[in-house]
Amino acid sequence: MSEQRRGSGREPGREQSRENKKQDKKSQRFRIYMQKKLVVLFVLVLLAFLGLGIRLIWISHENGTKYNKEILKQQDYSSVTLPFKRGEIVDSKGVKLAVSEKYYNLVIDASVINYDEKYVEPTLQALEACYPQLDMQEIRKHVTTNKESKYYIPLKLLNFEQKQAFEEYKTAKAEENEKDLIKGIWFEEVYQRIYPHSTLACDVIGFTGKDNTGTYGLEEYYNDILNGTNGREYGYLGDDSLVERTIKPAVDGYTIHSTIDVNIQKIVENKLYEFNEANKNAVREGNGAENVGCIIMEVDTGRILAMASYPNFDLNNIKDPTKLLGNVMVDANGKQTGGYITQADLDAMDDATLYQNLNYLWKNFCISDTYEPGSTAKPFTVATALECGAITGNEVYQCNGKLHIGGHDIHCHVRTGEGAVNVQSSIAWSCNVAMMHMGQAIGKTNFAKFQQIFNFGLKTNVDLAGEARTVDLLFDEKMGDADLATNTFGQNFNVTMIQMVAGFSSLINGGYYYEPHLVDKITDSKGAIVENIEPRVLKQTVSAATSEKLVQYCTAVVMPEGGNQRTGKTARPAGYAIGGKTGTAQTLPRGNKEYVVSFMGFAPADDPEIAIYVVVDRPNAAKQDDAKFATRIVRSVLTEVLPYLNIYMTEELSESEIAELEALQLENTYGKVDETLEQEAMEGLNDGTGQGNTTYEEPEWKSYEKDPATGYLKDPVTGALLDPDTGEVLVGDSIPAIDW
Amino acid sequence: MAGRVKKKREQTEYFFDYTLLFVILFLLGFGLIMIYSVSSYEAYAKYNDAAYFLKKQLLSGILGLIAMIVVANIPYHFWARFSELGYLVSAILVIMVPFFGVEANGAKRWLPIPGIGLTIQPAEVAKLCMILFLANLVCSMGKLIRQPRGMIFLMLTAIPMVVLVWKLTNNLSSAIIILGISVFMIFVASPDYKLFIILGAIGSAAVGGLLYYISKLNMSDLEGFRFKRILAWMNPEAYASDVGYQTLQSLYAIGSGGVVGKGLGQSMQKLGFIPEAQNDMIFSIICEELGLFGAIIIITMFLVLLWRMMLIANNAPDLFGALLVVGVMGHIAIQVILNVAVVTNSIPNTGISLPFISYGGTSVLFLLIEMGLVLNVAKRIQLREA
Repeated sequence: MSEQRRGSGREPGREQSRENKKQDKKSQRFRIYMQKKLVVLFVLVLLAFLGLGIRLIWISHENGTKYNKEILKQQDYSSVTLPFKRGEIVDSKGVKLAVSEKYYNLVIDASVINYDEKYVEPTLQALEACYPQLDMQEIRKHVTTNKESKYYIPLKLLNFEQKQAFEEYKTAKAEENEKDLIKGIWFEEVYQRIYPHSTLACDVIGFTGKDNTGTYGLEEYYNDILNGTNGREYGYLGDDSLVERTIKPAVDGYTIHSTIDVNIQKIVENKLYEFNEANKNAVREGNGAENVGCIIMEVDTGRILAMASYPNFDLNNIKDPTKLLGNVMVDANGKQTGGYITQADLDAMDDATLYQNLNYLWKNFCISDTYEPGSTAKPFTVATALECGAITGNEVYQCNGKLHIGGHDIHCHVRTGEGAVNVQSSIAWSCNVAMMHMGQAIGKTNFAKFQQIFNFGLKTNVDLAGEARTVDLLFDEKMGDADLATNTFGQNFNVTMIQMVAGFSSLINGGYYYEPHLVDKITDSKGAIVENIEPRVLKQTVSAATSEKLVQYCTAVVMPEGGNQRTGKTARPAGYAIGGKTGTAQTLPRGNKEYVVSFMGFAPADDPEIAIYVVVDRPNAAKQDDAKFATRIVRSVLTEVLPYLNIYMTEELSESEIAELEALQLENTYGKVDETLEQEAMEGLNDGTGQGNTTYEEPEWKSYEKDPATGYLKDPVTGALLDPDTGEVLVGDSIPAIDW
Repeated sequence: MAGRVKKKREQTEYFFDYTLLFVILFLLGFGLIMIYSVSSYEAYAKYNDAAYFLKKQLLSGILGLIAMIVVANIPYHFWARFSELGYLVSAILVIMVPFFGVEANGAKRWLPIPGIGLTIQPAEVAKLCMILFLANLVCSMGKLIRQPRGMIFLMLTAIPMVVLVWKLTNNLSSAIIILGISVFMIFVASPDYKLFIILGAIGSAAVGGLLYYISKLNMSDLEGFRFKRILAWMNPEAYASDVGYQTLQSLYAIGSGGVVGKGLGQSMQKLGFIPEAQNDMIFSIICEELGLFGAIIIITMFLVLLWRMMLIANNAPDLFGALLVVGVMGHIAIQVILNVAVVTNSIPNTGISLPFISYGGTSVLFLLIEMGLVLNVAKRIQLREA
């Protein structure tokens, strides 16, 4: 310090020279010790800066990646998903079976409402005015306590009008107050899957949850086609550092056009329901049968016109437990237990049991359940025998009521025997003994081969989710003698309904095995065709000659030519000739007196158009082994479906049948000429001028002169050439090359 | 030391510190660019004018530059006579704040200037007046400054202003800065080291004890807002939705910038995540957009600024001029250190702006006036003959 004093005192001369006359205090110098202390301070500042610099580097090095992610995470708000609309499912006539409708969820953004005190009351008032169903106390509590909440949904599935009401209220208030005080309310678009016919075709359609994932049926099988692509509203930084928005619109899903005809489906479901009403609680508390299924298929295309089973469920309320009442109870593996669900069972059910029973209900009986077909397999056995030359069709078998094969006495359904049975009668009377004889003639190898040809054990690849696997449920050529014998009449191997009806269609349509299908067209959301699904012939199962014989044999099951012992006469609808085969199959364990009865038929008998298959799984009756449970359903269904398909009656009607038709308000079409067909032919020629004419007229072109050079008819006015058989005008390449 | 050489008056060449001027202009210009980059999004959203904040700051900057040139040309001894008056006036202005002040961003710190529709922050005036007052006081104390009681007397004169600013404008940050400037100046003026070391040790111990006490407290015991800030400082993630939000977002910005940053204008954090980022948090956006590279350049520029001021003070013609420069130097050093420390979460969050760069009219105006003083002191340095 003393040095510093000296230092300051050493230079008075200079100071005096500068500030001679100034005050003393101004002549003080910034002393050395002060300079030193300033340097000390500067070094301290330097160290502080250095420390902060290191801190910066440390933050960047340690957490750079993590913080970068955090920042990107925060940016999410600027991107909004625009939901696509799932495609519709419509029937063959365009009736909507499943649609997705746009609804709005009300979203409250409390953080926006609380941005300014003045927004709170007007916004709450607006909500109260527009949505009286809201619990305003709850909303107020939410808004005032969760001030940071951005997403709270008090109301779901508002329709457009309900949403619009709020928008209008808001606009009106904004004009009234000259500023918008209603904030933080917005609407989120959602699509809800609606099934306008609720229970109709529930098994076929399947259902779709909120996540646009189809479960069962068409909804699952065509899930990817029905679903579209979500759109997105992006926020991004433009050149001027402002968030700009761009919209990539959602692509809506495709519409699938089903082959199902709602009218036929309704008839079928009504009849199944009537069956259930008539038979329920007969000997046991519960449904008329454990399951009843029905499929109607076009034999020449494989198009399924109707597919239904009972019990059914409501697609708009799939978890309704009351639909389980009276159904057969299933175990954890989905196997029928034989118990029937009562209200008491329902009340006692835990969730797991409830869901395993609901799952069984949701499954499509027609494709998912396997069973022994019984005698409906006999036409297949006969067809196999004819095809591999084991029989000629002229054989006669002697039925004594049983046959001893493989160490067993295997009985016919008529224990006393049916006497002499020819091939037609073996089907018409459903003779097991004759079948067993044929089976022995066919042999195990051929029998197994033809089962494969008829697609037993294989999937039909019907376009529905959940088709059962049956490959392990039948025998190969290493089967035992008794197995072959019982297989000939449809016991000891399992099938699905869809396998049976698809195979049977091939037996009666000339041998063409069509892949059964439920969708024949896919269109986009604007209606443009994306894909036409044509009928697909997979294979030829039998020859046309065999097919013709089987049509004859099966017709004898129903029609009088089969004799009095014929089993299917009760299946015949008034006025029509149909063919078919009954089935009564024992279930396991044998001797439990429980049966699966069925009828598989076709109509009309002379030119089969449709195949129908009805299966009644364990009817609610003291005596279950009665095919009439199935034939009566077939009869009542066909009575209404055949007129709907414009198939005219060919059989004379009895008094009682006429009365029956009148009661059903169905037209008696017996003996009528099929005018529509001929009119259609004429309309094609006369450009519609023949419309309304009921009498047949010779078309004008028939009177045209024959052109001598070509042999075609020549129109005197235009000079055009017409085909002498069809009247079609020949154009372009179709005219034979002739030198004029 | 330059003045120790004997010289003739007419031959004297006066010094003008171009380096200092360059650094000031660089920081100002850089600040304007960053304010535009940082604030344009919010400005457009709120005022429909992306350059809203830029224009206001540009006006303050021009006004400030004019004031700087004027002040730089007035011999600094001219101001000595106003030192007591300045102290008094700034105290009165601070006292007026609770009665006539206007609020902005939830704090009442501004006084409206009648007639022209502008506001002024008395705390900024008080900083300048404190520098002037203390510099003048030290000069008039003479040899008393070498005794501890002189030093304590100086402290006592500064304390009332510190308390006024803290309590009346509820502005702890400015109070800390005024206290810091005072300590900075008194430390330089007083020959004593021991006392300052003891004071520093006591202060550090007190802060450490307080921190320990707070960290042991339960959340429910925390009533004071500032205690919560201290907890948020210790663990910003735990208070992410509350007082830790700004700090955490600032750290995100710094961390995500990397070495060279995302590029000018490319910050994502300015899009509403760091509210009012053009104010106290501007340094974090600089880090995000220009990276460590940009941040270290800015820190270096401040270091150059302080270094130039140290040279000017050490070569100042007299004590008064030197102390003025020391005060300004302390002001800038403290503010830069505290600002960067807050942004990097090195200290608890408190609102301190970055000199020349942060948005704020009064701050820039008064900083430039202070720089005018420094430049004037620099001009008085006599260079030896060539």
